[in-house]
Amino acid sequence: MGAWEGIATGLATAFNPANLLWVVAGCLAGTFIGMMPGLGPITAIALMIPVSYSLDPAAGLIMMAGVYYGAVFGGSTSSILINAPGVASTVATSFDGYPMARKGQAGRALALAAHASFAGGTIGAVALLVFAPALAALAKEFQSPEYALMLVFALSSIAAFADRGQVLRSLAAALVGLMLGTVGTDQSAGVQRFTFGRLDLTDGLSFVLVAMATFALAEAFRMVLAGNGDAPTPRVAHARLHPGDPKAIAPTVARSSVLGFLVGVLPGAGATLASFFSYEFQKRFRRRDGVDDARGVAAPEAANNAACTGSFVPLLTLGIPGSGTTAVLLGVMLSYGVQPGPRLLEVEPAMFWGVIVSMYIGNLVLLALNLPLIPYLSRIIHLRRRVLVPFVIAFSLLGVYLTSLNAFDIHLMLGFALAGVVLRLAGFPLAPLLLGFILSGMLEDNLRRTMLLADGSLAFFLDRPVSLGLAALCVLVWLAPLRRLTAKARKPDRSTA
Amino acid sequence: MNRRLPSLLLAAFAGIYLWQALAIPLDPWSASESINARTLPITYAVLLLLVALGLGIRPAPSSETGSIHSALGWRRLASHAVVIVAFGLFIPLAGLWVSLAGLLLACLLIAGERRPLVLVLAPLGTALLAWFLLVVALGVYIDPGRWFS
Repeated sequence: MGAWEGIATGLATAFNPANLLWVVAGCLAGTFIGMMPGLGPITAIALMIPVSYSLDPAAGLIMMAGVYYGAVFGGSTSSILINAPGVASTVATSFDGYPMARKGQAGRALALAAHASFAGGTIGAVALLVFAPALAALAKEFQSPEYALMLVFALSSIAAFADRGQVLRSLAAALVGLMLGTVGTDQSAGVQRFTFGRLDLTDGLSFVLVAMATFALAEAFRMVLAGNGDAPTPRVAHARLHPGDPKAIAPTVARSSVLGFLVGVLPGAGATLASFFSYEFQKRFRRRDGVDDARGVAAPEAANNAACTGSFVPLLTLGIPGSGTTAVLLGVMLSYGVQPGPRLLEVEPAMFWGVIVSMYIGNLVLLALNLPLIPYLSRIIHLRRRVLVPFVIAFSLLGVYLTSLNAFDIHLMLGFALAGVVLRLAGFPLAPLLLGFILSGMLEDNLRRTMLLADGSLAFFLDRPVSLGLAALCVLVWLAPLRRLTAKARKPDRSTA
Repeated sequence: MNRRLPSLLLAAFAGIYLWQALAIPLDPWSASESINARTLPITYAVLLLLVALGLGIRPAPSSETGSIHSALGWRRLASHAVVIVAFGLFIPLAGLWVSLAGLLLACLLIAGERRPLVLVLAPLGTALLAWFLLVVALGVYIDPGRWFS
């Protein structure tokens, strides 16, 4: 199927009235959840998993893509209005957005965020249309050794792109995730691992349980610990740009969107890094004076939306998620029996192209629907934590129970959520844990298959050009944090010299 | 939170996991494979032990490390945990919908909500809406619980 034919298929799938309705529903639900302080795209997607199970795979994934976009957009709203970013990727938006809101320009800041997000999403969607089929064609050459190394690369990137001081913590979280992924019956040997004789654990831990526990429930618990301090919220009468804004932000948005998309494609990097990169770039190299807050809002917003789209490239073409959010989406796809990867384009072209096209429609929906609705939707932020937290707890528990109908999962989920809170309080990021958990089975399967093919010789990885290139990339990625550490260690010596 | 405590906890987790990994039963055929059911679990455990050691040697500062939450916050968290355990225990007896309404009511009370209208309408409305969507609209069978069957 050619690209144009694919786009036509995607348009037909996405413009199916039912699917269109699910895009709108997903965007609204994502915006609604994402606006709530403390809740981000992973939580939003995790909370919507039970709903997606009642839909066919294409509709479910189209809805989830809408939820993703909506939640990122919703997160910007709480960042701008109350300086409470629901996710790390909207932290950079609050740097200039919140001061604008305090100066009485909340509506303008929100409109800037909405337009920049739309532009970022549009550029990202076009790039996805171009890159995804090309990468899928290349990925057809991938076999077990390449997949194994690609997975090692994705997991190693977590450390390479981790925040300052978070390298070891990110690695630890990813390792805990990999370990949790080994619970259950070993598929090759048929032996039980870490089940402690319990039948409930023989099928392994459900990804819904781990995702809901570490994000939705753990986040609710963190809010419980933080208390009921609700920030005062400025009221928004309307969300409109100033007349000179479109011209002023256009170059910033274009530059940040391209940067965001490229960063988003890298496994482990994602929207957070993209938004900070573009904000820093704007601040250091492009800003001419200290009063132009509009570009400071537009840059991270365009970048994080483009990065969200970019993160779908490795997911759809290689079946490898690059971020916590796409890891949850991979889990959703696998539970539908859909295996993302190079063959997805051939096996499920309607779904492949439908998801890509619906992303663009999602962007349109966000702009057309959310912009006029911002004054009303932003009232959600006024919802008190003492009401919000019980609902998050109830919906996350309900979601997990409905997927298994097993009360044991409720107690298991509580245990994981409490452990998640402890990890969060100790400064451990939980997205690598989820990524490790989802990739654990894939990594083990591909490594085993490779070792069988190679008769136990690791040299097999170096015999194939693509795997050799990937191995070199892995080494580069491992060296990055080491270089950072050694540079840090040298600094005091210089100062004393 | 003590800055070295997380690394100690991680090391303990890795140690227990390693001990369990070494106890994974292997038949003679799989024992001779280069990657068997034990290989990756043992590798992960050893790597986590090394990372925990690294974290113990130089615990990096973080925004949340050492953050002190109020005693009230911890008490509320403990109360929520007890309510969730009770929710799990009550589902087989009272069924999902009654347990869900009870869970929401208890959580609202723990969170400090005292408005009677919210305390009545939120749990009942949510349970009814969820029941309608799942049981009536989607036709999902949910066990009504031993007390109601």
